[in-house]
Amino acid sequence: MDVYLHLIGQGLAIGLLTGILYVLIALGLTLIYGILHIVNFAHGEIYMLGAMGVFYCYVVFKLPFAATLVVILLLSLLLGLGVERAFFRPLRGQWLQLVVASVGLSLIIQSLGWIAFGIQEKNVPSFFTGVVAFGGVRLPTQRLIAAAVGVVLVGLLYALVYRTKVGLAMRAIEEDEETARMLGIDADRVAALACAVGFALAALAGAFVAPIYSLNPGMGLEAILMSFLIIIVGGLGSITGTVLAGLLVGVLQSVGGVLLGAEAAYGLVFIVMIVVLVVRPAGLLGKA
Amino acid sequence: MLEIRSITKRFGGLTALQDVAFTVGRGELVALVGPNGAGKSTLFNIIAGAFPPTRGQIVFNGRDVTGLSSHDLARLGVARTFQQTTLFGEQTALENVLHGLHRHVPARVVAGLLATPAYGKEQREVARRALGVLELLGIAAYRDTVAADLPLGIQKLLTVAVALATEPVLLLLDEPAAGLSRDEATRMMNLVASEIRQRCTVVLVEHNMRIVAGWCDRALVLHFGQKIYDGAPEGLTRDQGVVDAYLGVAELA
Amino acid sequence: MKRGLLGLLIAALVLLPPLGKPYVLHVVIVILINVVYAQALYVIMRMGYLSFGHAGYIALGGYTSALLVTKLAITPWIGFLAGGVVAGIFAWALGAVTLKLRGIYFSLSVFAFAEVVNAAFRAFEVFGGPAGIAGVPRPALLGTRLNTHLQFYYVVLAVALVSLFFLYRLQWTRFGFTLLALRTRETERLAESLGINAARYKTLAFVVSCFFCGLMGAVHVHYLRFVSPFVFTFFLSNDLMIYVMVGGLGSYWGPMLGTVLLTGLGEQLFAAGYYKSLVYAVVLLVVILALPGGLISLPRILRRGGARERVLPVAADVTAARER
Repeated sequence: MDVYLHLIGQGLAIGLLTGILYVLIALGLTLIYGILHIVNFAHGEIYMLGAMGVFYCYVVFKLPFAATLVVILLLSLLLGLGVERAFFRPLRGQWLQLVVASVGLSLIIQSLGWIAFGIQEKNVPSFFTGVVAFGGVRLPTQRLIAAAVGVVLVGLLYALVYRTKVGLAMRAIEEDEETARMLGIDADRVAALACAVGFALAALAGAFVAPIYSLNPGMGLEAILMSFLIIIVGGLGSITGTVLAGLLVGVLQSVGGVLLGAEAAYGLVFIVMIVVLVVRPAGLLGKA
Repeated sequence: MLEIRSITKRFGGLTALQDVAFTVGRGELVALVGPNGAGKSTLFNIIAGAFPPTRGQIVFNGRDVTGLSSHDLARLGVARTFQQTTLFGEQTALENVLHGLHRHVPARVVAGLLATPAYGKEQREVARRALGVLELLGIAAYRDTVAADLPLGIQKLLTVAVALATEPVLLLLDEPAAGLSRDEATRMMNLVASEIRQRCTVVLVEHNMRIVAGWCDRALVLHFGQKIYDGAPEGLTRDQGVVDAYLGVAELA
Repeated sequence: MKRGLLGLLIAALVLLPPLGKPYVLHVVIVILINVVYAQALYVIMRMGYLSFGHAGYIALGGYTSALLVTKLAITPWIGFLAGGVVAGIFAWALGAVTLKLRGIYFSLSVFAFAEVVNAAFRAFEVFGGPAGIAGVPRPALLGTRLNTHLQFYYVVLAVALVSLFFLYRLQWTRFGFTLLALRTRETERLAESLGINAARYKTLAFVVSCFFCGLMGAVHVHYLRFVSPFVFTFFLSNDLMIYVMVGGLGSYWGPMLGTVLLTGLGEQLFAAGYYKSLVYAVVLLVVILALPGGLISLPRILRRGGARERVLPVAADVTAARER
């Protein structure tokens, strides 16, 4: 019995730490959805590129850790701006074509990834070593720091959306795009910015999981799957809902994985999503 | 025939309708009047089943229909048009009306798959009925034009044709004359007051006093979600409450 | 003219195979299977809905038949049908919950569903785990097991022709016509106000779509003689969606064209591994950005110099009346 309690405690803690990283990916999706009204299927691939970026900058080219992060941040921001300009802007308003284009993009990045990075799984040594113990629960420092950075990034995003002029413009567009445009808000620029920020969040999430998992170009699929479940449970377009749902899904997956096995944990998360759709179709905190 | 029993509707903290009650008799042509934001469209949406009221009851043909979905209400004989001209834009005028005939056409999936002669005959019969509705509104010439390509005046007539094709008992028209030229508006209202009201009871939302006074039997005025007038259109200008409400708006604008 | 061409094509499909080499026969079988998948997916894409999880329903059909036949020794003919029915039942369950909501909820849920189904097949011993189920037998007819490529080709052809006839006719029926009314939120609202129960129609369309995927999925598994979680994946769902988009949503023949061209191309690129996805994706993006109506709209655009054109097919049975 004690062993179980201990395992659950451990699972709970790991779940929260993983959840915050899911939150980063899902928040980017939510942000882009709020402005462009599409879910970006290529988001998982950006996360993958972030992780691969760490492998190449930090492990292969031996850049310092901080420089690695700066490179990833800049590249992902640029990629976000470029993708918005090349694909999302010409297709504004055609949701079917937009979503399909993002799937095409995801396939291109992934297949280029397999071609360029090869099928060999890559491993990144820990940035930080050591284990911290809370009571009986032992957590690797690596994960704690990743989660701490995640919390900081989520905080920064809140500040961006709720404390800046750009954030005000974002919320205005989400509320009513036509009126926002009439008030002189440049919706294209805000959309580009949302894409850039969303991509950067996903890439940074990838960068911080790099030492935790083995890396391969297909790793985006699981991340995007979890993120979709999270934004449905949390309510499409709701930032706080996404944060709560991300933590919830992280814990469910982790504790469920300990008790039932990894595959069954997927099923558990899926069942939670269906229940939410039946009981509260707009998600935990979504607007009805 | 239609009885609204003290309907209240709140959105969040906002009260859109406050204890609104009235009745509409068979064959009447009633105008719902009021400044923007007075709750007219909300009331329409509630009657047509787009969303339920917070409190109150709607009785249609002696039956409590509160909270029924809009497709259930359509089947009972309530048809409507939308304030923003809504059509099946990618389809022709005739196809638009064919959708309107939905509840009068049996599905017959198996016969349709096999394309039996009887099925073909039935479908041609249905198309003739649809054409009849277009003819009634004088727009049969546009039957093969894609709806999105039609001029606004014809689009407005087509929205009425689509709703009329359901053969409703009660027809709700949301600003049928809005955006039309004076001549077009006159043509529309002449049709409503003759051909259409012979077939069903009509409730319409209207701002324009010329239209209310010229064609309608009765006017209901809403102001800030409350009914402030219910009577003959001629009495509107003599009613102090109505005059104040309208003057107030005029001053604000 | 059109009928003559179609008759000629069917005659060729029936008469020519005995002359073809086994490899060519294999390619034609794969094309026929994919055409049915894509055409089934088209049923819901035509009403403006996207699915990234049809592979899940194909897998359900395949596993159902494989399990029934290997574990309970039921004849594959019944297995095929059971595959379709099980896929249809699961489609109904998910559709009833998600098709009341905005399209994006449906797309994401179907995607998640397919992944969960896949995880279940990997996890549980009943389904054979990661190794899957081997030794799935071919069906027998009049005492002969249809073990050769040629024999099984005719099974695939028969199922494909029946399915395609059904799916083709469906869009011309009153039911198919009504589905066109549900393409956007605004038109759906209008449709509801005319007495159309939108959620029910959409769910039915999804069930029909998945029934044919499950049916063909079962046939597919009996062709391969095995099934594993790695046969029907997210990539198949994607490929199907790409076939439909590249061919064009404007007509029944669009998805068919896209499937035949891309499957044929894909078979040639098979050895190239990840280059196949890359080529598919690039073709997809080029078509979406430069040719929104898909390849099928190309002749019409060339003829009319890019004039505005109808994206939707006319419901022939219904509008045929105007000629009289």
